[in-house]
Amino acid sequence: MDEVIQQMEKKPLIVDGHPVQVNVEKMGSREMYLSVLDGKYQPDIISPASSLQINLLEDLSRRKYGDPLVIQSDQQYCKQVLLTPLVLVFWADRAQVLWGADPNVNIWVKINEALTDPEGWSTFGKPEWGYVKFGHTDPTRSNSGFMTIVLMAYEYMGKTSGMTVDNILKDAQFQEWLKNFEGSISEFGSSTGTYMKDIIAYGPSKYDMVAVYEATAIEHLENAQGRYGELIVYYPPATIMSDHPFCVINAEWVTPEKRKAAQAFIDRLTSPELQEIAMMKYGFRPVNSDISIDQPGSPFIIYANNGLHIDIPPEIELPAGDVLDTLLQFWIRNIQR
Amino acid sequence: MKKSSYALCLMIITLSIILTSCGGTGLLSKNKVTIEMVYGSEKEEWLVPLIEEFNKAKNEIESGEVIEIEAIPMGSIESIRRIISQDLQPVVWSPASDIVVPMANAEWKKEHSTDLVSDQFNYLVLSPVVIAMWQPMAEALGWPDGHLGWSDISQLSISEEGWDAFGYPEWGSFKFGHTHPNFSNSGLVSVIAQAYAGVKKQRDLTKEDIESTELTSFMQDVQSSIIHYGKSTGFFATRMFERGPSYLSAAVMYENLVVAQETKRISGESSQLPVVAIYPKEGTFWSNHPYIILNAPWVDDEQREAAQIFEAYLLDTEQQEQAIQFGFRPADPAIPLGFPLDTNHGVDINQPQTVLEVPQADITIGIQDLWSQVKKPVDVVVVMDTSGSMHGKKISSARESLGQFIGLLDDRDRVQIIFFSTEIISINELSPLANDREELQRRVSAISEGGGTRLFDAILNAYQTMEKSGNEDHIRAVVVLSDGMDTDSSLNMEDLINQIGVTDEESGTAIKIFTIAFGNDANKEILNQISETTGGRPYIGNPDSIYDIYAEIETFF
Repeated sequence: MDEVIQQMEKKPLIVDGHPVQVNVEKMGSREMYLSVLDGKYQPDIISPASSLQINLLEDLSRRKYGDPLVIQSDQQYCKQVLLTPLVLVFWADRAQVLWGADPNVNIWVKINEALTDPEGWSTFGKPEWGYVKFGHTDPTRSNSGFMTIVLMAYEYMGKTSGMTVDNILKDAQFQEWLKNFEGSISEFGSSTGTYMKDIIAYGPSKYDMVAVYEATAIEHLENAQGRYGELIVYYPPATIMSDHPFCVINAEWVTPEKRKAAQAFIDRLTSPELQEIAMMKYGFRPVNSDISIDQPGSPFIIYANNGLHIDIPPEIELPAGDVLDTLLQFWIRNIQR
Repeated sequence: MKKSSYALCLMIITLSIILTSCGGTGLLSKNKVTIEMVYGSEKEEWLVPLIEEFNKAKNEIESGEVIEIEAIPMGSIESIRRIISQDLQPVVWSPASDIVVPMANAEWKKEHSTDLVSDQFNYLVLSPVVIAMWQPMAEALGWPDGHLGWSDISQLSISEEGWDAFGYPEWGSFKFGHTHPNFSNSGLVSVIAQAYAGVKKQRDLTKEDIESTELTSFMQDVQSSIIHYGKSTGFFATRMFERGPSYLSAAVMYENLVVAQETKRISGESSQLPVVAIYPKEGTFWSNHPYIILNAPWVDDEQREAAQIFEAYLLDTEQQEQAIQFGFRPADPAIPLGFPLDTNHGVDINQPQTVLEVPQADITIGIQDLWSQVKKPVDVVVVMDTSGSMHGKKISSARESLGQFIGLLDDRDRVQIIFFSTEIISINELSPLANDREELQRRVSAISEGGGTRLFDAILNAYQTMEKSGNEDHIRAVVVLSDGMDTDSSLNMEDLINQIGVTDEESGTAIKIFTIAFGNDANKEILNQISETTGGRPYIGNPDSIYDIYAEIETFF
């Protein structure tokens, strides 16, 4: 965003003869939709890390006001801008011991078994590695943690679409499984980037693996070279995208002029020029199909040996807002410390 | 832990025209904004020159005020107590590790509604907690091929045979040390690691675990091999590296201190045996030096801004690269690890391979309590000068702080008090404080000054009392306070040194003399020599600092 704003200064966006000025404020995804929902904050555009939060806001605001504050299906005013899937970053030698060349299916079940094994790595003949250590962010404060528990839940349920409220609330075994899984994680932080930095700064002693965005992994992989060993990126067999939706708020404070300006701004973000910068420099997958990610110098080519793929596994279907809210509330009640 | 900058963003569109506001330039003089920083002393050598450089550059906050950093080194656990009591009100707190953060928040929240430390902070430098051991000793235990851990060290501490069991009777008993867990981070993590070793776990330490009788007796056994405690890891390391293997076989410290010592040895500055870092096989803890701008009522916005500017400076590549020279691993992962972090300097950057889980705050506090119950008791003879020159504020402050010192010791500790002037008067026998703490404090409060200074005779008297009545399984110490030259002894200095000198083999467990040169006329050099001969520590004090000195001596016990 910093780079986009800088570029806007050089190349102003003009709508109906007026220059558009964009004021940006950073905020955690959950804090963002909650403060817009209760009216504390009245922005013109909202851009959480993924459509999970748009689903939640749409559902919660429809229930609260009748008319939703965002309308995801309205593709004119609600667009994905950058894509990056959730990945697991794992020390190569340890991944080899845990699941050989490839986890294939049931990656979360395998991780859960290893995490909750009281013998830890001893079970795999490596007592010197201690207990198995996995890190993901706090789902109430960070989208990547939320995406992680959605993927865990889908895999446990044996499907990739159609998660229901009952799947969560009426399955005691699932609840127990998730509680044990999360109970084996020492702490939940708020920043995805910190997990990637930590796995590199502290080496394998602190984390065997972390769940982060592909773009976060790309941003830091260079630092991992020649340090504690080789880090490998794994794609869960069913994945989920952090898709950075930009949605214009459906409320009276967004005047027709602002709506038009907002739409023009979102179009600018999806322009080939900005999309290419986001891909080459920051490792995001473009939404603009004119940009190819396998071009020379692309991070997806540079880090192919670290497990980065051009093609990614199929995405799960995003659960509806009320299902997401149920999952999050379950986590808050039973797991949050 | 800063929020990822561009991933989560929210936008507002405005179509307003922004007018440049032309405020007055102002004619403010250059005021100072002072940032007090309390920090773990292990990073002193890296930090202090950087602070000097930063202050010299006269960096400014936006309002034009010049930033000045004032830094105070302090044990991490002690600093929690002093910040909570608001005896210290720093802007920045940088303890040795973030393990202490939940403890600080738990204490703070007893009287405040918000956390003292938010979870958004960065780390300055990293260093794993290691067991530093003389290389020949480590090799005798199978290093570097065999994996050694907390359990092995604990077993060795407990064993009657000591080094004899490994074919080295000449090394005597296994002498182990760590700092005081109520003052210093490395001491705290040492006892947490011992608790894990005692219940054979690496995580999920429970209340039941720490209340079990097995753990109590295990911890007691391990603690019995400790030569003494102390409040600063840096001092502990210095003492080990100065006095050699007869003083300590191994001690818990940080990897960077091993690198620093090996750098000195390789350059010829130290003539000790090589020392190596043992990364315990069960896992260890990281010291990660968080940089915490306190969320406290005494921190204002300008100080916060200034503290952030200093933080950015410390995290700059150049300063981070310098940290490697002091044996730290930089917190910035973009900086490659290299010389002197290598096997030539006793360390292995591929270690540690795993960590022990950081327990919840209530479990940590439970382990500290357990330690207090099982720690090695001390036998101490206190020798106090009551000659005529102690007249006035000197005698009153000395009386008062000695009374407080007696208050700091445990019921199991044994104390004897000797006053000297022209006469040497012992007011009691060496006996547990449980019986007569109040009686001793009462008698100390009533002592008055007068007469000459029979310093050497009094010290020898105390030393011989300890030889005769002290228990070799306790920490044995003599604490001497004197304000002047010896005037009346039949003994001379040379004879005294000959009588109290320790044999090399067991210098770690020998009787230690701590001396306090009190006031300007005290003979500092002689007192220095007496304490150094025994492996104790000399102090220089005055009526204003005497309580702190007694309190610091207490941390050795």
